[in-house]
Amino acid sequence: MLICSWWKGETIHMNLNDIEIGAVTRRFKDMVAVDNVSMEVAKGALFGLLGPNGAGKSTLTKMLCGMINPTSGTIKVGGYNIQDNPMKVKELLGVVPQDIVLYDYMNARENLAFFGKLYGLSGGKLKSRIEELLKFTQLDEKTVKRHISTYSGGMKRRVNIAAALLHEPQVMLLDEPTAGLDPGNRLALWEIIQTLHKEGKTIVLTTHMMDEAEELSDQVAIMDKGKIIALGSPRQLIKKVKMENTITVVPNKITPKLLEAVKTVSGVKRSYKAYDEAEKIETIKIITETAEDILPEVVSCISSVGTKILSVQLSRVTLEDVFILLTGRRLVEEEEQL
Amino acid sequence: MRLKRTIRQVFAIAKTDFLGIMRNKTAIFFTLLFPLFFLIIIGFTFGTQGTGETSSIQVGTVNLDGNMIDVNGTISQNSTIGDIFVQVLKEANFTVHEYDVYGDKDANSTAAYDISRGEIKIAVVLPVNFTETLSFQYTDSVGMPIPTRACLDLYTDPSDPTGSVIAQQSVLGFISGFIKSYQETAISQLPENLQDYAEVVADPITFSTSEADVSGRRLRWIDYMVPGILGLVLLWSGLNHASVSIATERTKGTFQRMVIAPVSPITVLAGKLVSSLAIVYISAIIMLASGLLLFQVTLYWNIPVIILAVFLGALSAIGIGLIISSIAKNEEAANSIAILISVPLQFFIGAFFPLDIMPKPAQIFGEALPFTKLVYAMQDIMTKNLPFEAIMPEIIYLTISGVILFVVGIIAYRLSLKRL
Repeated sequence: MLICSWWKGETIHMNLNDIEIGAVTRRFKDMVAVDNVSMEVAKGALFGLLGPNGAGKSTLTKMLCGMINPTSGTIKVGGYNIQDNPMKVKELLGVVPQDIVLYDYMNARENLAFFGKLYGLSGGKLKSRIEELLKFTQLDEKTVKRHISTYSGGMKRRVNIAAALLHEPQVMLLDEPTAGLDPGNRLALWEIIQTLHKEGKTIVLTTHMMDEAEELSDQVAIMDKGKIIALGSPRQLIKKVKMENTITVVPNKITPKLLEAVKTVSGVKRSYKAYDEAEKIETIKIITETAEDILPEVVSCISSVGTKILSVQLSRVTLEDVFILLTGRRLVEEEEQL
Repeated sequence: MRLKRTIRQVFAIAKTDFLGIMRNKTAIFFTLLFPLFFLIIIGFTFGTQGTGETSSIQVGTVNLDGNMIDVNGTISQNSTIGDIFVQVLKEANFTVHEYDVYGDKDANSTAAYDISRGEIKIAVVLPVNFTETLSFQYTDSVGMPIPTRACLDLYTDPSDPTGSVIAQQSVLGFISGFIKSYQETAISQLPENLQDYAEVVADPITFSTSEADVSGRRLRWIDYMVPGILGLVLLWSGLNHASVSIATERTKGTFQRMVIAPVSPITVLAGKLVSSLAIVYISAIIMLASGLLLFQVTLYWNIPVIILAVFLGALSAIGIGLIISSIAKNEEAANSIAILISVPLQFFIGAFFPLDIMPKPAQIFGEALPFTKLVYAMQDIMTKNLPFEAIMPEIIYLTISGVILFVVGIIAYRLSLKRL
């Protein structure tokens, strides 16, 4: 926190972080759901909170939005302690629940009007905000007038987000926003999240999808059994895993000249001919730290020696590998078991 | 500014809650119209009692009086008094079905057959010598009349004890009147000096019954039932709605969304209270208007007292509803608990059936219910036109129970917030 002296002698508190969580623990009888968690989310950051079910993400999110109190520790949002100033914190927050939480017997406009009034909006300001957000939902006027129960999943999801944006919150909490969506709607929602991020909002995204966290987040915290087991940017976390990326190329023929040429590509640590038992084909394996970066050069190199590429497969280290490294378990398997 | 914002939030929550009922046909029926359904069914079935109506009583007569019979060695065929009996029975407004024989339950067009099928509730069989006995035609060898009684046979439907008792009591009442009339005629034919004695011997004790003047007009059961229906309104519109409303929002997650907004839990509760009260009052207006239109009841309208009493009763109902919604895990559970409580309770609040006919423990239980007190208060105000002072005990009881139950409801509601 910076303390700046104003020329009149007044002091204002400028906070570089929108969220500060200090040694927060939450117990439910004998069970510790969140265990001594500390972290900070910088202003304007897109922060991914990652972990399997039961890791403590939901409990931490509920404490962040004031639904439950921590057993110990402090939570500050926008510089305000949530236990001392719960109403102020709630005004700063826009929460998008995982489920569609709308009144299905009301239309989109009525729903937005209701949630707007809860946040103290009224009159012309409420009306103009509703119209802005109806544009954001991309619903036509005919659809807007229909009850929510008649909307498609994607439409409901967009109105669900719009309801959290009515009061122009500084910080947004998105709880598993893409859960249950098809790939098309999932990508559309990613775009919305990225747009909100570009607008300068601080976003906390809880998810159990590693690719989502990796694709969208600046910073990621991986939670397991109530604790944060890893914290940093996706790239930093991936680097912690001493694993290498592999490019697997299937050419129409493998010649010594081709193997030599591949080795000359900058960034290639080593390359060799391999045999894929499953597909019964010969391949070239290229080991590198930066698979995505050198891929265009590898392709052009292979083409330059007159070889056709039949297929290319890129396997890289992901946050999933980070989770496996830290816990010895696969996150996806845990989800399936649950 | 803050107050204005809170008031806006309260009314936004109330309006949303209210729309939830108004846009759901099932909810409209169970919350607003179910008491009306009860009022119509029970009102049309029992409501007109107290007016002395007998036209609904189906009586069968088997008049054997016109059949031939041997009297003093001579064949007689006289049906004069039997015919008069049947004619007067018809004029007494009973619905009379005439049969030639009593018969048996399998023989078509007989009285027994129609009783077995519920077509008539009672059959009166007049004996073959009905006229002969009542006109003293049996004489001894010297021509002196032999006192002989006429015996009527009454058959009732055992499969409908209530209907049969009502029919039997009504027919016995008619027979009593017929006997009285016969006695007067017979005594008038005695020598004058014996007539007074004979009248006393025939009718040694006289009595009269009449309804006490409680309202300045003659009352029917429905006159008590319509104001009493307000007790039922509290159970169905107040208790049920309050139980299900918050539980439904909690199940759907909208309650959580309200809690994470800058809205205090008490503001949410106030919004729910406003909508519950609106629903109670709308339901009350529907019930009273239906009573006026369907049963032409005449009620006295002390509006401020009615509004106050209903409000106090509603506090109890909503308090119980809050307790139910707090302990129920979801909407279905809340609905089941509310029905489990309100369905039996509606028979103990004195709205349809007087508590006096119930066993003592049931009477004590019913008297302890705040809804019963509301029923009594409304009947006193709207039917008997008693002043406010007369219902003060009920108002005090409603206030105390309303405050206690509502406070307990708020505590339960606050505790339930920890389960979100």
